[in-house]
Amino acid sequence: MTSLDLELDGLRRQYGSVTALDGLTFGVPAGQVFGFLGPNGAGKTTTMRAVFGVTALDAGEIRWRGRPADAAARRTFGYMPEERGLYPAMELLDQVDYFARLHGMDGPTATRAARHWIDRLGLSGRERSRIDALSHGNQQRAQLAVALVHDPQLLVLDEPFSGLDPGGIDDMSAILAERAAAGVTVLFSSHQLDLVEGLCEAVAIIHHGRLVVTGAVADLRRGDRPLLAVRVTDDRAAGWSAAVGPSVGTVDAVRADGTAEISLTSTADSQVVLDLARAAGPLEHFAFEDRPLSEVFRQATGASVGQAEAEHAASARTAEATTGAGR
Amino acid sequence: MSIATGTDADHALRTTWLVARREIRLRVNTRAYRIITAILLIAVALAVVLPAVLASKSSAPDRIGVVGADTAAVSSLVTEAGRLAGGQAVAVTEPSLAAAEAALRSGTLSAVLVPGTEIIVKQVPLGGVSGPAANLAQLAGLSKLIQTVPGAATAVSHGVTLPVRGLEAQSAPLSSRITGLATVIIVWILISAFGSQIAMGIGEEKSSRVVEVLLSTVRPAQLLVGKVLGIGLLALGQAASMVAVFVIAGFAAGSDLVHGASLGVVVAGGVFIVVGYAFYCTAYAAAGSLVSRQSDVNSTILPVQLPLIVAYALSYTVLYSNGANTFYRVLGFLPPTAPVAMPVLYAAGDVPVWQVAVSAVLCAAGTVWMARIAARIYANSILRSGPRIGFRQAVKEARSALPD
Repeated sequence: MTSLDLELDGLRRQYGSVTALDGLTFGVPAGQVFGFLGPNGAGKTTTMRAVFGVTALDAGEIRWRGRPADAAARRTFGYMPEERGLYPAMELLDQVDYFARLHGMDGPTATRAARHWIDRLGLSGRERSRIDALSHGNQQRAQLAVALVHDPQLLVLDEPFSGLDPGGIDDMSAILAERAAAGVTVLFSSHQLDLVEGLCEAVAIIHHGRLVVTGAVADLRRGDRPLLAVRVTDDRAAGWSAAVGPSVGTVDAVRADGTAEISLTSTADSQVVLDLARAAGPLEHFAFEDRPLSEVFRQATGASVGQAEAEHAASARTAEATTGAGR
Repeated sequence: MSIATGTDADHALRTTWLVARREIRLRVNTRAYRIITAILLIAVALAVVLPAVLASKSSAPDRIGVVGADTAAVSSLVTEAGRLAGGQAVAVTEPSLAAAEAALRSGTLSAVLVPGTEIIVKQVPLGGVSGPAANLAQLAGLSKLIQTVPGAATAVSHGVTLPVRGLEAQSAPLSSRITGLATVIIVWILISAFGSQIAMGIGEEKSSRVVEVLLSTVRPAQLLVGKVLGIGLLALGQAASMVAVFVIAGFAAGSDLVHGASLGVVVAGGVFIVVGYAFYCTAYAAAGSLVSRQSDVNSTILPVQLPLIVAYALSYTVLYSNGANTFYRVLGFLPPTAPVAMPVLYAAGDVPVWQVAVSAVLCAAGTVWMARIAARIYANSILRSGPRIGFRQAVKEARSALPD
């Protein structure tokens, strides 16, 4: 197993009556693109802020390469918060240069790095533009430049794909993959679980401030009960699948086209299912499928991501009504 | 690699300076800052030069009344006293002391000489008389000595003066009061203008959300100190250049403002700009951190500005009257009002220098207390989104966050 660069250990954070983090624990392997997933309100933003010391923790520890993450370690981190923000009236180059210096770069190095990233992110020619004069997409790029300019060892991005068009999503994915290939540990959050499953090598999925599941994406999607999709010609209701016994597996769902989704038990032989299907008629489709991460989430928590988010929104409204204040 | 190494303390200082530097560059490079600075400096220069120029043009000879002596005998003394004071003085015969005092009160005479006895002026300014009356007192004193004591000429080198008596109670001269008025206007403008800029800047950082990116690598205290330091250096630069213009223009125009009491008032004003800014800068920062939209800043800084507004509004009653009331004297020692009230009291001659120093020390001590509370309010509020945070709530939370 690869070594863990970033370790979150038993993080707790309470906001009044709302528990944002409830003993959250997981590790991020070095040099990977790591997805930090969960429904809205699961505690992702609080966790990322805690990595930078922006939010204080009630309990728990954050370690970077085996040692508690201190100010010196944080200067080697790059951050793109969910609430994007730059100085509206400051010129692009000055702004990126300023953040490079704040991370400890000397003047000439900072300016060189700022120019490099402005160029790399396709903003050449806009060095002297004020931030508020840039388009929304270019402001996102400027924000990314600020996160990358000091060549961070750990890149933390909160919902980097929100508000991006498909082209922007591709560009962002390419940059994250490229950074990881250069040895940078990349941690990013998303509440759209399926959008990012192709990008990450590993993920942690959290809910109610606790870890639901973590591991390599490929392992999680396969699961310990492999998913078999089988379709028999002219059997739209998949009536044949009634013959699948509990020792073999369970029929989770039947799709509109008649495909039966069968979770096999860990010891079952898929050939038993094949024989049952062929006995019922000509076989049209027979394949192992990976589950989407949203399905992994549903199986682990018993609720869909949508339900979890609706529940969070309702509890947030209640908390606001009783305390009379937003978070 | 390119990340500089060093201790955390080095980094904290470097970071604080980077923040301060950004604030300075941001403002110095704006046209508004340059224009306002130029206007303030020109206003100071004109305020110093114009009265001096006007006074020298309308310089009629000083009329000195002489009582109970042969005017011709002392007229050379009077003329010489006027010459020594850099002007002209003529002796006028007065029939009686009462007539002379009446003429003194009405302003027809600038001083009365009772040879061998005393000099009478309408009012002895704080710090003693100057000009023809002072010279006359000296010369007339000498002449009395030489005439009445044989061999006294040898004692002349020690200097002997006639006593100078004022008809009215001693008081600060008008020039000192006018300088005091100008000084408090400038103290008030600088503290509130630069204080508002602190609050606006913090409101901008909060409402634009850039503060979260900043706080990922900068501690709230570094951000706060850097900001008030940068803006404070600009305020100090403006104040120092105004004092410099005051002194240079004063000497160049031969203004009597650069001698005696007025200069002291300006120096006191300079001291209180520094301690007043130090006291208020963190309060303005805390006020700025409470808003969620920059447009709310004006209403959150109002409670911060209130003490200065009160002290400023009441300053006119002190400058135009003889003797400040007890209430205003108390304001002169309270840190929130002292920056405006104390220079006023000093200019009006109501307090001695040592009390000015005590007030400045109290204000500096209050600064420590204010900075502690304000820094906590700032750190608590700066990342909080949502509606504007009430002042009471912020103070309550800041208190509960105080370590035991």
